[in-house]
Amino acid sequence: MRKLISVTLLLVIVMIAVFSVSHAMFGAEGARRTGGLREDGVNFGRRYNNRALDETGAANVVAAVVVSYRGFDTLGEVTVLFVAALGLGALLYGARREKNAKEREPASLIVFTGCRFLFPLVLLFGAYVLAHGHVTPGGGFQGGAIVASGFVLVYLGCRGTLPAGRLAAAESLSGLAFVVIGFIGLAVGGSFLLNFLPRGTPLALFSAGVIPVIYVAIGLKVGSELGGIIGNLAGEVSE
Amino acid sequence: MSPILLIAVPLGLAFIIPLLALASRKLPAYVPAVGMLFNLVVSLYLLPSVLSKPIVVRTAGFAPPFSIHLVAGPLGILLAALIALVGLLVAIYATGYIREGSVPRYHALYLLLLVGATGIVLTGDLFNLFVFFEILCISSYALVGYRGDKAGIESAVKYLIQGAIGSSLVLVGIGFLYGLFGTLSMADIAGNIHSVRPITVFISMAFLVTGFGVEAAIFPLNAWLPDAHSSAPSSISAILSGIAIKAGLYAVARVLFTVYGAETFLPFILVLGLLTLLVGEMSAFSQNNIKRLLAYSSMGQMGLIVFALGLASAASVEGALFLVVSHGLAKALLFLSVGYMIYRTGSMEISSLHGMAKRMPVSSLCFAIGAFSLVGLPPFIGFPGKFMVVRAALEKGDALYTVLVAIALLGTVVEGAYFFRIVQGLYFKPAPEGAVAETGEGREAPFSALLPACVLAAAILVVGVCPQILTDYVGPAASDLLDKAAYIRHVLGV
Amino acid sequence: MSFLEDYVHYGGCFALIMVGLYVVLVKSNLIKVIIGINLIDTGINLFLISAGYIRTGTAPIFSGAAQEPGKMVDPVPQALVLTAIVIGVSVLALALSLAIRLHGHYDTLDLRKIKELRW
Repeated sequence: MRKLISVTLLLVIVMIAVFSVSHAMFGAEGARRTGGLREDGVNFGRRYNNRALDETGAANVVAAVVVSYRGFDTLGEVTVLFVAALGLGALLYGARREKNAKEREPASLIVFTGCRFLFPLVLLFGAYVLAHGHVTPGGGFQGGAIVASGFVLVYLGCRGTLPAGRLAAAESLSGLAFVVIGFIGLAVGGSFLLNFLPRGTPLALFSAGVIPVIYVAIGLKVGSELGGIIGNLAGEVSE
Repeated sequence: MSPILLIAVPLGLAFIIPLLALASRKLPAYVPAVGMLFNLVVSLYLLPSVLSKPIVVRTAGFAPPFSIHLVAGPLGILLAALIALVGLLVAIYATGYIREGSVPRYHALYLLLLVGATGIVLTGDLFNLFVFFEILCISSYALVGYRGDKAGIESAVKYLIQGAIGSSLVLVGIGFLYGLFGTLSMADIAGNIHSVRPITVFISMAFLVTGFGVEAAIFPLNAWLPDAHSSAPSSISAILSGIAIKAGLYAVARVLFTVYGAETFLPFILVLGLLTLLVGEMSAFSQNNIKRLLAYSSMGQMGLIVFALGLASAASVEGALFLVVSHGLAKALLFLSVGYMIYRTGSMEISSLHGMAKRMPVSSLCFAIGAFSLVGLPPFIGFPGKFMVVRAALEKGDALYTVLVAIALLGTVVEGAYFFRIVQGLYFKPAPEGAVAETGEGREAPFSALLPACVLAAAILVVGVCPQILTDYVGPAASDLLDKAAYIRHVLGV
Repeated sequence: MSFLEDYVHYGGCFALIMVGLYVVLVKSNLIKVIIGINLIDTGINLFLISAGYIRTGTAPIFSGAAQEPGKMVDPVPQALVLTAIVIGVSVLALALSLAIRLHGHYDTLDLRKIKELRW
């Protein structure tokens, strides 16, 4: 009975939603075909596409939007991940879990050796992705996730452990670095998160002002944070 | 002195807490209090200067609507001051109350909850509102389950599932709005809202109001509230009842009044508020568990505030804002004073609180002050708020509104009944057998708990006796919420 | 026919959201409910990106000499989805830790049996 009600309710909601989307000028495609709302390019990111390279010096417009135009949102997002890591640590702090026999068994030789060989390569690839976020697709979050997958490899393949205290310190310091960069922007130019370093030439590694610096901080933070989360789930929760 | 410091400085302090925890065990407990003291000082300093014209802060150096901007108007700074005050006092309380578990993480989560709430009331961008709303929600999910007991984890799971669906609905609404208008600034959307057919706009409004309404505990979305507020540690219950649901309600109100300007939807809000009020007060009447009773009472009071917002006249919105402040202070006081009573007796039953006045006189007095203020008795802060709402409803002139406000007053009568029963039990009923021997004579709560409770009680008395202190600020705040054209003009300069 | 071409991706994401909502409402295993929440988040992210899509558009990166800004897709929904994915992962992590603690207390993950808090 509950299934029937919920399915009919959902079908009705979906039909209403699709109906409303199809009858109005919706989305960038809709705006392109019907002429859009405004001519000055405010809507649908046309302005960002046109001006990002001049205003921020980043070749990747998405990076410019994420870090510069909507950098405050990114700060909030980094905070959400921090909250989740803290919450997970606090909730698992009192749980007593025994490792069962399967978890205590060492991995086979091929997996063990392969993981030890691959771990530095994974970290290198992650560092490349997160440092080049402003010129290629990628960035802090993507690079941080790759770094964290290296940590998962250590836990699962090599049955190793990671230094939880140093990961937590890295996480806090990189988060603090992000906020401090924002404050420097406030002190120098009067706007929080202002891009105060020189723009440089596009497509170079050291271009786009403060964007690669912020991306490195975000990448370190996300990598160490996700690594800490994996560590907590594997059973090691520090104070 | 930019309003962005209200968000950035506590955020930086929260990032420092794990580093401090590596150095010293006891130091992290004082960081939230320091952060909230800073916020209180800055918001009180900014309050006179925003009364006439809001401060629009741009980030990253680009003008709105191309960058994220904060709109610090009288409403935002007033609510930020309230958050800072209640947050500071509960932080002082928590230094002594929270002893088990991962204490540094508790304080970091607590400070981030307050940062999320401050961000919600100060921002002018819709997606930024969603991100700060998520910071608030996720830290409250973790804090509700902080103690790790059976009831706490179960309540946290239910709260998380309902809250996650609510946040998803908000995101769908934001997706609709972006697809229709191509911009995310609330002022920009508000200016363009009439160029699209009303039915399409209505769907996105339904999604947004439902999504934010889960956190604001509007009937029928508030099934999580009794469990979560009663199973959390008492300091967290105080913050959830006092601040978090107000922040959710602010999000609903800002979306309804400023972005949509929806006059046709208001009677529906009125009825929902009334239903929430009645359900909350009736359920509270039959409770035996003191914290569950206080949680249902919060639900009822939020219903009254939503009812007042639904009337949508300047006087009723002023009354609603006054009620927000008074309920925040009173409910925090109630939870704080009850916290140590429960800890000493080990039980949350009301019958175990009988005769507490002899054993914990100051806590009982604070509880009585909070209870009387909530009911709306004269020398306390609750009275001007309820009086303003009733007068605004009667000023409308329509017989329908008179009937509705009479029903609302019925809820207040029920509330008075159960609170008087509790206070009578505290003072006049004898203690249960063996209770005195267990807890001992004269074991009052420690100083770290009494100081915040007494400050809150003093604030309730002072503002109750001269409400002009608050009404001077509540007036401009109400017009900040209601006057859509002025908001757009201040942000976009058009 | 043109209607179908233009709006098939919207239909796809609403179908995902519908499946996710069905799982959350009907299933009683906590892990399945958490997966359902994740499905809803995935569907919504797809919806946000579809709102910024232009047919025959290119990625918003100036990776070569001649890239026309006029033909690029909208970068803003991509930034929004970046944030939304991270928020979804955070809720997922917290939900899983709650599931671990819940199992520790009740020895079951069946939500119909976890009803200790009554009226």
